Amino acid sequence: MQKPLKKIVIVGGGSAGWLSAGIIAAEHAADQDLTSQNNLEVTLIESADVPTIGVGEGTWPSMRTTLKKMGISETEFLLACDASFKQGSKFTNWHTNTNEYYYHPYTLPHGFNETNLAPFWQAYRDQISFADAVCTQSHLGERDLAPKQISTAEYDFNANYGYHLDAGKFATLLKNHCIQKLGVKHIVDHVTKVNSAENGDIDSISSKSHGDISGDLFIDCTGTSSLLLGKHFGIPFVSQKHVLFNDSALAVHVPHQSPDSPIGSFTCATAQSAGWIWDIALPSRRGVGYAYSSAYISDESAEQELRAYIAPIMGDKEAHNIAIRKISFDPGHREKFWHKNCVAIGLSAGFIEPLEATALALIELSAKMVSEQLPANRLAMDIVAKRFNSKFLHRWQNIVDFLKLHYVLSKRSDSDYWRDISDNSQLPESLQEQLTLWKTQAPYYYDATHTEEMFPSASYQYILYGMGFVTEEPRKKRLDLTKRAERLFNDNAKHTKHLLATLPTNRDLLNKIKQFGLPKI
Amino acid sequence: MANNVLLNSIDHKDVKVITERSPKYGDNLWYSLTFPAEFRSAQAYYPIFFNKDPNTGQFFAVAMFGFQDQENLFLQNGKWDAAYIPLTVARQPFLIGKQTVNEDGQQKEQRVLHIDMDHPRVNLEHGEALFLEFGSNTPYLDAIADMLEAIHHGIVDSKTFIDLLLEHELLEPFTLDLELNDASKHQMSGFYTICEEKLNELDAQTLASLHARGYLQAIYMAIASQSNIRGLLNRKNQQLGL
Repeated sequence: MQKPLKKIVIVGGGSAGWLSAGIIAAEHAADQDLTSQNNLEVTLIESADVPTIGVGEGTWPSMRTTLKKMGISETEFLLACDASFKQGSKFTNWHTNTNEYYYHPYTLPHGFNETNLAPFWQAYRDQISFADAVCTQSHLGERDLAPKQISTAEYDFNANYGYHLDAGKFATLLKNHCIQKLGVKHIVDHVTKVNSAENGDIDSISSKSHGDISGDLFIDCTGTSSLLLGKHFGIPFVSQKHVLFNDSALAVHVPHQSPDSPIGSFTCATAQSAGWIWDIALPSRRGVGYAYSSAYISDESAEQELRAYIAPIMGDKEAHNIAIRKISFDPGHREKFWHKNCVAIGLSAGFIEPLEATALALIELSAKMVSEQLPANRLAMDIVAKRFNSKFLHRWQNIVDFLKLHYVLSKRSDSDYWRDISDNSQLPESLQEQLTLWKTQAPYYYDATHTEEMFPSASYQYILYGMGFVTEEPRKKRLDLTKRAERLFNDNAKHTKHLLATLPTNRDLLNKIKQFGLPKI
Repeated sequence: MANNVLLNSIDHKDVKVITERSPKYGDNLWYSLTFPAEFRSAQAYYPIFFNKDPNTGQFFAVAMFGFQDQENLFLQNGKWDAAYIPLTVARQPFLIGKQTVNEDGQQKEQRVLHIDMDHPRVNLEHGEALFLEFGSNTPYLDAIADMLEAIHHGIVDSKTFIDLLLEHELLEPFTLDLELNDASKHQMSGFYTICEEKLNELDAQTLASLHARGYLQAIYMAIASQSNIRGLLNRKNQQLGL
């Protein structure tokens, strides 16, 4: 008989630790049947004196499902986390640096599951942008409209959305929910030592004042220090800096221009001389930051570019004086993520620039797989670990390729950074192949090689055609789908008109939610 | 636009209110707001469903008169073909206003009678008078005042009622599939009704607490009212000559 897995120990709080705790405890009902043989115990130990990094303020639509499953009310979440709705990203100056922009919305192109509209759009490429032609959401973005109405039930939508949120407040909300509702045990203490079992597993961790804490599975949520997977097990780090150059970030919180300034529901990513600036609007403030490559620009010059960006929002003087926080990171990930009885989730597994808000999404996906595939005993664990590693290695490769795609199609040549990062000869082979193929056929189902790909082929379409990529018009087929495509374009225009007439602005909806709350059904 | 003013026996001594029922007086209503206190009367004629206010997302109960916007199947030749008209319709063109009064040095809010002077029912020639010769209320106006008082308390009570329904997950959305006599099919969605499955699962304690407030009766009245859909459908067939 194999000893059953009964005790999970999560090391580290923050978004990664508490999201993992919440996802696992909710699914396995850690708060119930405390005496039962099958009961799973989830313990989270965090140090009081380690500050969380507090970036990662954008989520994917998957967060709606994650929160709902954990039993958190959306109204409560929105209000507690200073959160607003995110409908995708808007990229400015990435292509030609002429104030041009394009959208990567969360909604798939209209009728995507039956018809690939991308080939049919090619004929209209000079008249209408790809996103505008196939989707309602870029139109909503231009007008700062919300993805739903006050009468739309919690987590339901008119247009697909995730969130912009305050990461610190989010971790606090999750912590309270996990402890009070989901039965997660919370220990505030400093981890001093990792103790090995005979077979090389982690047997327990020693803490300053709670003694040794033993467990069957340890989840490393210790952030960039990667205490268990990196430090204890010495799993090597795979740097991706040669592909994605950015290794530094300057972050700042900026007040809204006025209390009733519009709240954008797209993350604005504006390209700069050696990277890009993110701009995320929350109800009470904006989070702005410059992700750049220290090899191409000095911290001082980067700071100047960032201050120049926020000056129109808050005034020259304030922009000049406001305190800016610097974060340095090595872009990349561990060689593997699950080793023996330890799995790393969050920054301990890897870190990459926040260009497509992959940080929280990866935490959700990782915790979901750990939870749904939770090995019943130690024998099953090695097999699950093997699968987990292959799946997440693929996902990391996917992220690297997809982020790189944002850069390689740039026509900018105003700095060494842009000349080097868009250099075709430096591409990962997988991306090189895809780009060759996409010249003659638009991305669609066949581009997904795994189930649950990080990015649907629709996302590749939005980036490619947003960046002016040309796919040759397809050869004529016996079954002519032109009529159907025309109908879908028209439907989209009609639906857009309807939504523009009925949806409130983000600011209006968030104010109403404060007053009435969203209905549960 | 409504022109709501405080009613008084001097400015409005000659005002009359037409009580005929017709689309030109705004009676072409798909549904109107109702509340538990009048469920017993309303369920004799109308299906009672629940709906969300598009401006607040808050639920309220409605008595249905038709299947689509502006369709009131009870309106016939200047009459409303039912012995009971929901109070929120019957009270037109009057409404409740609030006035702050100073009572023994204390600011108090008082409910007062307002009238919409731009309402098509309001005129100087036809219909019910509001005031008698020496300024006292006509029985008609007294009845209206009672109605508004009942509506006020009914709506306050309704909020408690609906909060309880939501707390116990007793509301569920539904789609009404209709087939007329000419075999044409129609759908009505966006409304909510009592979830009988959840109702049947309620424990004795919850049932007792609902009963103590009279809400158990209201719940069953709402369920029973669904049989009026058949009656509405008959009226629709009749109106179309089917």
